[in-house]
Order: sequence, then structure tokens, then C-alpha cells
Amino acid sequence: MKKVLVILLLAVLGYYTAATFFDIGFGQPHFIKGLEPVKDIYLAQTVKTLKVSNAVTSIVVNFRGFDTLGEVTVLFLAVTVLGSVLYKKRHEVGERSVLFSASSIVTSGSKLLFPAIILLGAYVFIHGHLSPGGGFQGGVIIATGFLLMLLSYENYSVSHTALSVVESLAGITFAGVGLLGFLHGGTFLQNFLPTGVLNNLFSGGIIPIIYIAVGFKVGAELTGVIYTVLHEKGQSNG
Amino acid sequence: MVGTPVLFIAIPLLAAFLIPLLGMIWKELVRIVPGLVLTYLLILAINLLNHVLVHGPIVEVIAGWVPPIGINLVFSAFSGFLVTLMIFLGLLVWIYSYRFKRNVEYEPALKYFLMLMMLITGSVGIVLTGDIFNMFVFIEITSISAYGLTAFYKGRNSAEASFKYVMMGSIASTFLLLAIMIIYSQLGTLNMADIARKIHLMNPTLKIVSYIFFVTALGIEAEIFPLNGWAPDAYAEAPGPVGAAFAGIVVKAAVYAIIRYTYTIFDLSSSFSFLIIIGMITLIIAETAAIRQEKLKRMLAYSSIGQMGLVLVAFGFGTKEGVFAALFLMLNHAIIKSLLFFSGSYLVYNSTEKNIKEVNGMSKFLPVTSLLFAIGAFAIVGLPPFAGFWSKLSVLTAAADSNMILIMVLVLMVSVVELVYYLRVVNRIYFFKKEADTKPHKPTFNALFVMLVLGAIILLIGFYPDAVTGMLHKASASLMDKGQYIHNVLSLK
Repeated sequence: MKKVLVILLLAVLGYYTAATFFDIGFGQPHFIKGLEPVKDIYLAQTVKTLKVSNAVTSIVVNFRGFDTLGEVTVLFLAVTVLGSVLYKKRHEVGERSVLFSASSIVTSGSKLLFPAIILLGAYVFIHGHLSPGGGFQGGVIIATGFLLMLLSYENYSVSHTALSVVESLAGITFAGVGLLGFLHGGTFLQNFLPTGVLNNLFSGGIIPIIYIAVGFKVGAELTGVIYTVLHEKGQSNG
Repeated sequence: MVGTPVLFIAIPLLAAFLIPLLGMIWKELVRIVPGLVLTYLLILAINLLNHVLVHGPIVEVIAGWVPPIGINLVFSAFSGFLVTLMIFLGLLVWIYSYRFKRNVEYEPALKYFLMLMMLITGSVGIVLTGDIFNMFVFIEITSISAYGLTAFYKGRNSAEASFKYVMMGSIASTFLLLAIMIIYSQLGTLNMADIARKIHLMNPTLKIVSYIFFVTALGIEAEIFPLNGWAPDAYAEAPGPVGAAFAGIVVKAAVYAIIRYTYTIFDLSSSFSFLIIIGMITLIIAETAAIRQEKLKRMLAYSSIGQMGLVLVAFGFGTKEGVFAALFLMLNHAIIKSLLFFSGSYLVYNSTEKNIKEVNGMSKFLPVTSLLFAIGAFAIVGLPPFAGFWSKLSVLTAAADSNMILIMVLVLMVSVVELVYYLRVVNRIYFFKKEADTKPHKPTFNALFVMLVLGAIILLIGFYPDAVTGMLHKASASLMDKGQYIHNVLSLK
């Protein structure tokens, strides 16, 4: 009886929530008529003032760069928390468990692929202000390269200290660039470099610098996550 | 001026990224740096608060884009008061736990101090920001550090408590994003002042749905009744100082967010009675649950939930007196509940179960800690010469001013319940025989210092409530004046 009531209540709630979201009509060209949505300003200023051809990047790194700094911190914290939760286990169990070793096709293939993956990742975050992608995406691509190596070689290891140094330096770069903008222009994260010519690699002021820092940071952090979790000995196959 | 509000976020974040590097140079720096950062921020907060009380709010623009294009921070008398309170408590928590895990490995200590500093930064960010999506980011920072701190002792129970918290917290984030999405889809802006200016154009159904989603999401952090299932477990399993940080800092930030949405952003007239009803239900259920608890920290957790219910009731009056009472209550609760958590965790230091009966006869072994716990207990119940009396009195007079006699009666009845379970503990401390197997643990010098400071503040506010009431009146006036808030933010060029 209780379960039926709960399901009924959820159904009613679900119906009204769904109805609300259907009413919104996503994908329509404008919001309530007569308002000036910020998106129009973003699109106009991206090309005019910031000289950046990827509008997503200009919003993520400049207009709402403060949010991105927060998101980077969220990732940093998630890694810290994961390390803290798994700390004892990692130190008591230590070694990785390997069910069966990778075949020679995988090991030699991954050796070939690894530099290419790293190169693609670096390309994606360096060109974040010119083409689709950016620091987060590039960082994830780099981490997949390390995942491939960890999967194909049983004793492949990444130095925790090195990861932590890269992570910290990248974070300091982001916050430091923000503070430099504060000292130069009076507001945090303000652009203080020349914006250059649209579509050039060296354009967009501080945007590429921040995105490169984010790329390093995300790459190091996700590699750290994979590494921490891999070194947990499972119950079933241990 | 000595600085601007953005330093409250930028400096701790920079320090958080630096700390792992500094730890490689000298391990002690991991403990020292958060304290230095918090001390600096406290000085900054007091200076800015003094400035704001005289000259009016500071609105700070970020990345050079004026609102509503960019993100902005607002340091008004209201948010400034809360920021100062949070950083002050954060500093006390740091002093209290400075020698924490002294003899254990370096890595857990590094992570503990990082998470603690981020917990405080996230809460401060929630209070300072003037942008609803930015608030979401800070809520994420706060809750992720809170999950980690809950699971800090790696036992089975703390893992369970943390997992419960993670599940509820993730649902909260989802609701928050849905609510933000509804608002953005209608108004095309994320700035609080801009939304407040345009909210009357929104379809009422969408407005109500997004308000409910906001309150549901924030209610999980603010421990509102049906959403607070995580709280007693998390308080009981987290390290002692973390309980104080949750009650004094995180919950305050979440309540601030609910109040900001109710008072400034939305213009729903029925939301005030809604606050009174959920506050009242939370208060009654939590206090009746507290009386049945057998573990000390769980009892304190339920008492904390009940106090938050009372704060929401006071905000729900919607009058200036009500807001004043609620702010006074928040200040007192932050100070008193921290003292109770600090001293309480020494009373049951060496026990595994942390049962209430293990405090029996502790007054002979830990006289100062016991006395401070008793002061805290009397103060939170609202007995006269202590701080809690004035805040409870102001809640009751605010209720009387709004002609809510039923609320007055209920609050008084619940206070009796509160009195019963706190006196029961104090009675055990002073008049019972010590249990044979309990081993008292002397508090460290730092802990004793922190507890004495808090006890002194309780007595100071108790005897001279005028020391804080002037500031609280200004803070409540700044919250009530919605038009001024919108003007201050949107008039920037």
C-alpha cells in the first residue's frame, strides 16, 4: 500500500515537472519578448572585443571564467577527496591486480598510439580558442593516453609527485593570471594582454594561457584518478 | 581600503594549489598556511565590514564585464556579516584542529587541511556571489569537501554516512541545475539582480516550479526536515571540529541561499508562509528526535537541525524584526553549537560508541571543558545571562509583532523539550558517577583556548547584546531593501 502511494505521488510530481519542461520549448530563438538576453552580448563581444573565434571558449574562460576557476577547483577537490578516501587501502594493499597480461598487439600498438594521443590532446587545448575543444577536452584526451599505457603495461607507473606538481603549477597559473589581471585592470581575471588578430594562434589575450593551464591540470588530475583507482585491489579477482 | 571581496576566493584557491608544493619543502607548512590565509581573510573581512557598515555595499565586477554580462560579488552588510562570522569560525576550527593527526602520516593531514579550507571558501563564495550559476559552483566545492571530511575516518559507518550524503547532495545539484535552467530559459540571464528585476515577467507556474526546485536543492544542505536524512550520520561520523564547521559554516551558507532566493530574487508572496511551515515542522520533528538520541553528537546534530528550523521560521515572518531575530539566532547558533561540538567531542574523546552515558561524572576530570559545555547548553536553550536568551527573546517578540501567537506557543513548548535533553546531559556530567571504563582525555592547549574564546563571546553577548545588535540591524535592513540591491548591482558602468 505504502509503495503504491509513493509511486502515485512520484507519478503526479513527475507529470507536472515534465509538463513544465515541455512548456518551456527549448530551441526557440528567443526568451520572453522584449528582454535582452546576455547571449546576444556574448556573441557580439566574442569576435569584436576578445578576437576569439570559438564562442564557447570565450564564455567559459572569459565572461564566466570565475565559474571555470571554481570548476577546476571542484575537480582538484574531487581528486583530493578520492585520494583521502582510498588512502588507507592504497597503502595497505599496494600492488595492482592483473587478471591476465595484455597481448603483444596491444602493447606494441599502444606504444605507437601514445605519442599521437598526447599530441592530439595538446593540439585540442592549445587551439581551444580557435576550434572546437579546449582545456577540459584536451586534458581528458591526454588522460586516456595514460589509461591506454596503464592497461597495456602491468608495471607502467606514473610518478605521483610529478602529477601533483603539474596539477599545482597549472592551478597556480590560472589563479595567478587572474590575480595579475586584478593588479593590471582592477578586476579579477581581466584580460591584460593584447588580443591580437582573429584566428591567429597568438590571439585572445589570456584565454589561451588559461586554457593551456586547464589542459595540463585536467590531464594530470584524471591520470591521477585512474592511477589511484587501478591500484585498488578488488575483492573478486585479488 | 585593504582589499576587495574577490580576494576571499582568489587567495584561498591560490593557497590550495600551492599547499601540495609547499608540503614538499616543509611538511609543517601544510598546517600553517591555511591558518595564515584565514587570519588574513579575517582581517580583510573585518575591515571591509566596517567600511560597508558606513559607506554601503561593495559590488565587485569580475573579468571586467559589468553585470549582467559578467559575474559579480556583493559584499553588503548582510553578506559581509555572514562572511566575517564564517571566517572567524573557520579560523577557530583551524586552531582547534592544528595538532590534529599530529602523529599520523603526512598525506591525510594535507588532505584534511585542504578540504577544511575549501569548505570555508566554498561557503564564503555562496554568500558573496551575485550570480546563480556561480553559486552552484560554490555549492559543489562546499559539498565535495564536506563529503570528504565526513569520510575522513575510514570506518564502515563513516563511509555509509558519506555515501548517504553524496547521494542526497548529487540529487540536490541536479535540482539546482534544473531550477537555474528554467530561469535562464525564460529570462536569458543568470545575474541575481537582473533576475529580480525581470522576474515579474515570468510565467507563474514556471516561477513556482523553479522556486520549489531551489528550496529542495538548498534544503538538503540547510537540513530542512524531509531532506535532512544525511545530517545526523554525517555529524556523528565526521571528526569533532568538522561537526562544528558543518553547523557553523556550511548550514549557514545554505540558509543564506534560501533567504536570498526568497527575499531578493523571487516575488512570491506565499513563500514566507511556506518558510514558516517548513521551519516549524523541522523544529518540532528535530527537537523531538533529539530527546530520543543516545549518542552525544547525534543529539547535537538534531538540535542543530531544530535551530535551523527556528531560523527559517523567523525569516518567514517577513518583517524587519523577524530578519533581525533570525540573524541574531544564526550568530548565536554558530558560536554556541561550535562550542558544544568542541567541548562535547572531548567529553566522549576515548569512547568508540560516543554514547551520552559516557559523559557521566566528567566534571571531576575535565572541569573546564565540562563547565564550557554547560555554558553552551544553557546558552542554546536560552537561559538568561547567556547569548541565546536574547536571540530567542527577539524571535518571540518578532512573532508577537506579527500576531503569530500559535508560533510563539509552539516555540516555547519546543524550548522546554530542548531544556530537558540538554539538562539531562549536564546533569550526567555533574551529578553522576563516572563509568568504570571511560578514560577522560585532557584537551590540548589550542582546543582549550578556542573553547575559552567561544565561552567568553557567549558571556559577552549575554551581558552586552548591544555589542552586536547595531550591526545586525544594519544587516537586516540591507537584506530587506531589494530595490537598493538591484540598483547597486545594475548601476555599475
